[in-house]
Amino acid sequence: MSNAIQLTLAVGEATGRPVDGASPVSLAEAAAIAAVAAEVGVAAIRLVDGGAGRTLDPTVVGAYLAGIHGGVGFVAEVPTTHNAPYNAARRVLSLDRAAGGRTGVALRAGGGDEVSEATVAASNATDAAQRWAEYALVLTRLWESFPRAALIGDQESGLVADDALIEPINHEAAFYRVAGPLDGPSSAQGRPVLVADLGALDPTAVARSADVVVVDRERVAGADAALTAALRRAGRSREDVALLGRVEVAADDPAAAAAVGHELRAWADAHRLDGFELVPAGGAEDVVTVLRGLVPQLADAAADSPPPTLRAAFGLRVVAEALR
Amino acid sequence: MSRQLHINVNILNAGVFGGSWRFPNTDGTASYRIEHYTSIAKKAEEAKLDAVFLADSPLLDPSIKHRTGNNLEPTTVLARIAAQTERIGLIGTLSSSYNDPAELARRLADLDHVSGGRIGWNVVTTAGPVAARNFGRTSEPEHASRYRRAAEFTERVIADWAGRTQFASPQGRPVVVQAGGSSDGRRLASRVAEVIFSADQDLDHARAFRTEIRNGAAEFGRSPEEIVVLPGLSTVVGSTEAEAKARRELLDDILPDAYARNRLASQLGISLDGLRDDEPIPAELLIHPDEAGGSQSFYRVVKEIIDRERPTLGRLLKKLSGGGGHRILVGTPEQIADDVETWFRAGAADGFNVMPDVLPSGFDDFADHVIPELQRRGLFRTEYDGMTLREHLGLGLPAVPAAAHERHLLDPYQEGQVISL
Repeated sequence: MSNAIQLTLAVGEATGRPVDGASPVSLAEAAAIAAVAAEVGVAAIRLVDGGAGRTLDPTVVGAYLAGIHGGVGFVAEVPTTHNAPYNAARRVLSLDRAAGGRTGVALRAGGGDEVSEATVAASNATDAAQRWAEYALVLTRLWESFPRAALIGDQESGLVADDALIEPINHEAAFYRVAGPLDGPSSAQGRPVLVADLGALDPTAVARSADVVVVDRERVAGADAALTAALRRAGRSREDVALLGRVEVAADDPAAAAAVGHELRAWADAHRLDGFELVPAGGAEDVVTVLRGLVPQLADAAADSPPPTLRAAFGLRVVAEALR
Repeated sequence: MSRQLHINVNILNAGVFGGSWRFPNTDGTASYRIEHYTSIAKKAEEAKLDAVFLADSPLLDPSIKHRTGNNLEPTTVLARIAAQTERIGLIGTLSSSYNDPAELARRLADLDHVSGGRIGWNVVTTAGPVAARNFGRTSEPEHASRYRRAAEFTERVIADWAGRTQFASPQGRPVVVQAGGSSDGRRLASRVAEVIFSADQDLDHARAFRTEIRNGAAEFGRSPEEIVVLPGLSTVVGSTEAEAKARRELLDDILPDAYARNRLASQLGISLDGLRDDEPIPAELLIHPDEAGGSQSFYRVVKEIIDRERPTLGRLLKKLSGGGGHRILVGTPEQIADDVETWFRAGAADGFNVMPDVLPSGFDDFADHVIPELQRRGLFRTEYDGMTLREHLGLGLPAVPAAAHERHLLDPYQEGQVISL
């Protein structure tokens, strides 16, 4: 089977300190990297959020870069902290629609936001994983609240949309209350891809909503089995989720790339990984070296046209099955 | 050089009329795709406009059945436009009621950096229960408390921008924009806004408004010359007056009636059920603008029209079919330029926030024919002198508003009611 590749990138000042293992690159460098990434068949570039002043806002960068290079997907990190779920759902879906179904969000577990907290009675609910699970559920439901089929645009009869198909989600739980629906239709891939990181989150927390799960080397043993079991309990199939192994890679000479590629493929086979999240050490030049040298070793060389959606690039259904 | 006009285009999805999306030779759902916005922005840049503007509310427009609505989040659209243009200013509306100030400050400032200093933020409070329910509330905060939050929110955002040490803005800080129609809105505008969008039907009233805002700014220690007032202006351009009028009549004809009545009722916060199109609106249905929960600017304009003209409901619906209560100019490029010049020279406006009748065709007509006419009269730039939005607008970088100014917003009896955030 082919391996999906997600590349980690921190976009900010090129001289900045590493963020989550990734050395920052400038916006112009990121654009050049995106071109190479599309060329070699990378599924998505994960835009790391190092926080204000360390990286540029990933959703801004994602929208900007997608306006320059449409052939590669972008996954923007968004923390629950400071982001009301309605706003995040709307922003990410807008990105995805603008990108023709090539956008995802890596939702990071964190705290709350000023707007939401003003409306939920002070509670004992503080668990970040529980918040994440609830937030992710709200995102996925909002993304499905205005189905693409509802947008009719019949000029003759004067019907813009079949509003019977557009439904509020009326979510009310421990952390959030959100009525919905969203103001725009679902994208070409149904829902944006939702990426979750094992570690801060366990398989149970991510099973209901995640499309891509990232696991690092220290936790990879048993991850597939645990995820499969959690998905089954949530009524979902392992085939509907891509499991990626996170690996830090250094720019090496071509001969070393072949050996590294072989080792990584063996690692993927051993742990039933669907692909890799590459965290390149070094700056923009090193990233390009990794892309050109290593990615062809890992990705399906037979791909001759870009996948129609980000989901397809991850080996998932081209359009998401509804989670409702 | 002599004072020149500032002109923005409001990319109000399909156009300012409720039936714009049905206009002949128009793709009815174009406004649901990103290319609609990028192509209009490129046209605006070619025409040397100051900025494109995106209105927004975080909700699904209840009129969605019959009218296209705004449907893409503004910062994602503006970032996409920034990637594909070089100089056009980029103004987005983002709610002070339903955003987190730390997050919004960072996003806007990062976007400003990425765009090369072209961002303006239109500060709005968001009215209505529909939006409120998207953020966990059962009803909307009352008007005055929305504006207290807006003042505090804006102050925090600007202070955050001023404190940045990374990803500097080429224009110093994003430009602060506000639509200051209500009493609360005008105070906020005078206090912090650099560009004010207004809604006025009458030249004398517009001139008085501009004077009031500038005088209010002086009271906050600001220079009146550094405020740009831009009334909204809907335009219907024809190569002849007859053609323009025919275009306007067609737009009225294709307006879905259910939409028009529902919109007016919702905007005014009253019920129009049972009222026939050939009846005037009873005076008792209308109360003082500051007491209404909805859009203050719109309410005031509608009330003034009713007081002045005593229209039937049907006539009022037609007069307002452009929505928002903004003036609608129907005519040839020369006629439209005449009106624009008159308001400008009278001191009623520093320019206009133009809302074309149909997008993109109405804007193409405006850019291709009205702008050249204004340029021929020496009223509008023929080239950009700068790269940033501040440079286009002729604005310097104002001092950061001091927190102590907060007290000016409240009289002694209200002070105790300030809500801590």
